[in-house]
Amino acid sequence: MTDNFEILEHTADIGFRARASSLSELFEAAAEALVAIVLNPANIAPRETIKLAAEGESKESLLVNWLSDVLYWLDGEHFALRSFKVHQLDAGRIAASAKGERRHPGRHEPRLIVKGVTYHQLKIEQSPEGWSCEVYLDI
Amino acid sequence: MQIEALDDFRYRIPRDESRGMRADVVVFASRRLMEQIQKDKSLEQAENVATLPGIVGASLAMPDIHQGYGFPIGGVAATDWRHGVVSPGGVGFDINCGVRLVRTSVALDDARPRIRDLVNQVFRDIPCGTGGEGPIKIERQTLDQVLEKGAQWAVEAGYGEPDDAEFAEERGCLKDADPAQVSDRAKTRGRPQLGTIGSGNHFLEIQYVEQIHDAEAAKALGLERGQIVVLIHCGSRGLGHQVCTDYLAQMGEAMKKYGIALPDRQLACVPIQSPEGQSYLAAMRAAANFAWANRQAILHFLRGAFRRVFGPETRLELIYDVCHNIAKRERHTVNGEWKDVLVHRKGATRAFPAGHPELPGAYQNTGQPVFVPGSMGTASWVLVGAPGSMTQTFGSVCHGAGRMMSRTAAKKGRNATEVQKRLEAEGIFVRSETRDGILEEIPEAYKDVDEVIEVAHGAGLARKVARLRPIGVIKG
Repeated sequence: MTDNFEILEHTADIGFRARASSLSELFEAAAEALVAIVLNPANIAPRETIKLAAEGESKESLLVNWLSDVLYWLDGEHFALRSFKVHQLDAGRIAASAKGERRHPGRHEPRLIVKGVTYHQLKIEQSPEGWSCEVYLDI
Repeated sequence: MQIEALDDFRYRIPRDESRGMRADVVVFASRRLMEQIQKDKSLEQAENVATLPGIVGASLAMPDIHQGYGFPIGGVAATDWRHGVVSPGGVGFDINCGVRLVRTSVALDDARPRIRDLVNQVFRDIPCGTGGEGPIKIERQTLDQVLEKGAQWAVEAGYGEPDDAEFAEERGCLKDADPAQVSDRAKTRGRPQLGTIGSGNHFLEIQYVEQIHDAEAAKALGLERGQIVVLIHCGSRGLGHQVCTDYLAQMGEAMKKYGIALPDRQLACVPIQSPEGQSYLAAMRAAANFAWANRQAILHFLRGAFRRVFGPETRLELIYDVCHNIAKRERHTVNGEWKDVLVHRKGATRAFPAGHPELPGAYQNTGQPVFVPGSMGTASWVLVGAPGSMTQTFGSVCHGAGRMMSRTAAKKGRNATEVQKRLEAEGIFVRSETRDGILEEIPEAYKDVDEVIEVAHGAGLARKVARLRPIGVIKG
């Protein structure tokens, strides 16, 4: 469980701001934020390791496609994920892994069904303190 | 931003070429609603919609407009079928999110004392699907039939009565849906979710008819005062969400190819007649059909729940089913000429008037039924489409009350149990699968639905038929 993100307000939907010292860690923090919006991540057992990958023509589209991949595992494969580790992040491609287990409503209290990851007000910024991003989700 | 008041119900934002606008924005709102609308970015989003290549007429904002992503929610845009674009963002992630209204043979006086039993039974029989699977198990090959046939599949598979599919927009099935254009991921995500409501603002409400405003139309819709009706609000679940995700991901490259630049990437669009546009539309239609099958299956399980509580003779009949996130090819009169357009309705409902050939025989003299849910503590409305919708909004009207408070703000300083108790004191029994489900949808988070309806009625887009009040609410 990370505290590297905060929830952002939106009239109809929900967003989050994540921060990290490197771009790879930012992608990891963003994935953890998404998981924590969908379910309570406190009790996810690291039973299996899952490989994740995405592509995108820019950092922004790579982030959207990466989070869409994580969302697919949560909502399509019914898998609860934690401990994201980015292995490779370069020219429009990300390769990563995460640990987790099949979702169980009793252990992983469902919070929200996220429909999709949007480009709405999407931001990725670098500053002397590190990297940050803002992402809005359709719920 | 220059905003001109046209009359009591209409405002205009003139086309601003420096912003790339190709059309005006027309907003249907009262003065009070307009003040609320200006508090978020929805008008800026309506201006962005006006930049879409091939937009016909104005970028339209319904009275329940609020900030979305890309399109505003409550936005309508028609694009030229031959030379215009299709925007997956103009449909949204929840393809064919919609509502259906069901009339029952149960009276309010019989339902009130048993509302807890009824809500608990419905809650057991119709899952929200936040963490698990739905009540219907189908094979992958069967899913393709669902995607092709929509509500008709559900009826043929035993999840409905013969007439059910007749009383839905498009008779519950968009033609030219192509399951081959729907990704494996979308099919995997959606398949176990058939027959589930979802979360967010999706719900199932047990309501009674509180007021009748148009006796003749109410009679045609089979509505009378004190009758129990059920309003079901949900969409295409993970299948539609994944279709939108998949096509949005492809649109970046495709837009470069067609030389399209837009102020907001979420508006991503391609020419309707391009291979990418045709592929999206075929997949979108398949997802829309999934949504109709989903709402039809929910009606089937609802019948079972009512009959368990009120006895096997209890009747539940579908009044109509409307979608409010969709893009459809329609023929409209533009500058005195017939024109084929793709009408994007993002949080907007089709509202065809009496005599339109698309309507079932039973509603030929009344107009298309339109259902506008309010919040869970206030009221919902039944309207029928009026002729003004065809001349002003490409046959469209509002779809809800419209949020005015963020979900975080709605939760702040409030306790779910207290909200539940307060609603119970008002005669409304609520059950939610998630702790936050009740708080996020509190009545205060929404605009005044009655005022939204006054604008729709006053502007001649639709006519008031009946006002409904909830007594039982099931939320995701």
